[in-house]
Amino acid sequence: MRKDITVTAEVRASRGKNEARRTRSRGLIPAVVYGAFKDPVSIAVSPKVINQIVHSDTGYNTIFNLDIQGVETTPVMVVDHQNDPIRGDLLHADLKRIDLSKRLRVSVPIVTQGDPKGVKQQGGLLELVARQVEIECLPDDIPQSFVVDVSDLMIGQAKRVADIPVSGSMKLFSSPDTVLAHVVALRAEAAPAAAAPEAAAATTAEPEVIKKGKKEEEGEETKPKKK
Amino acid sequence: MMMPKKVKYRKQQRGRMAGKAWRGSSIAFGDYGLKVMSCGWITDRQIEAARVAMTRFIKRGGKVWIRLFPDKPITKKPAETRMGKGKGAPEQWVAVVRPGKVLFEMEGVPQETALAAMRLAAHKLPLKTKFVSRGQVE
Repeated sequence: MRKDITVTAEVRASRGKNEARRTRSRGLIPAVVYGAFKDPVSIAVSPKVINQIVHSDTGYNTIFNLDIQGVETTPVMVVDHQNDPIRGDLLHADLKRIDLSKRLRVSVPIVTQGDPKGVKQQGGLLELVARQVEIECLPDDIPQSFVVDVSDLMIGQAKRVADIPVSGSMKLFSSPDTVLAHVVALRAEAAPAAAAPEAAAATTAEPEVIKKGKKEEEGEETKPKKK
Repeated sequence: MMMPKKVKYRKQQRGRMAGKAWRGSSIAFGDYGLKVMSCGWITDRQIEAARVAMTRFIKRGGKVWIRLFPDKPITKKPAETRMGKGKGAPEQWVAVVRPGKVLFEMEGVPQETALAAMRLAAHKLPLKTKFVSRGQVE
């Protein structure tokens, strides 16, 4: 989905982790722009803007303008980003140039609507198997999400990719048989077996050791499997 | 308890746990997760205790994923044994975790229930943890 956002970026001349660290300490993050049969350009952009775009309703499918100072202004979308696993800070972003006249392949999120009958009446659990589907369409036709009505699902029933309503220019790339969401029966928790594991844990069970070399005869030097 | 079915060697050295968990650091299956904020060993018993605490709290409803597996054997010498005479016998299994790893995930319950269940699970673990949810701005 195209948005009227312009993100300014500056070209990075130097490479390497030290320079990337210096870029981050200046309040920017290293990023790269590629695609549309042009050479890749190493840039530095504001992480705040990229974070806002990635976490917006349209997410990765947001097409915005990137103004690389002194080089080009081009429509791009975020195709990948890296976050710090602990602090969550944005560390790097991959941006792809978009040719607005060409079809492109994108992943569109699935949003479920309604409470399934299998959950309300039968006590099942709605499980989301696939959270997005892959489609091909023109950049201006990328939908924000696909809404799938799951209110009529009973236990054992599923909604599949084939149930998604696609408009004219869109083409589904995910297999039509792929399950998007299904209602499953809940398995009871085996609670009374709590006393037994204590005794079992006292004797440390050992797994089988994969032996090297020739196979020896059964029973000779094989560890007894206690389980 | 969780442990490998087959191993190549019965005993292992302790190893190092430097760095962060770059893999397995984002929510992949459910809507909510428990992320560990420091490195350490989590034993099979602690994983089981955390799992039981979570599943009992959410009762019927919800699905839980365990995203760590104790594949490292820890040996121990018997009490009142003199030093030497080789390495002790395997005593327990541990999972080596680095900061940032998502340990458990949950789906099919409201956020408050997931938060309370994860809190109970966190109390069974020896490391500092954080509740995370899918798509949250970090």
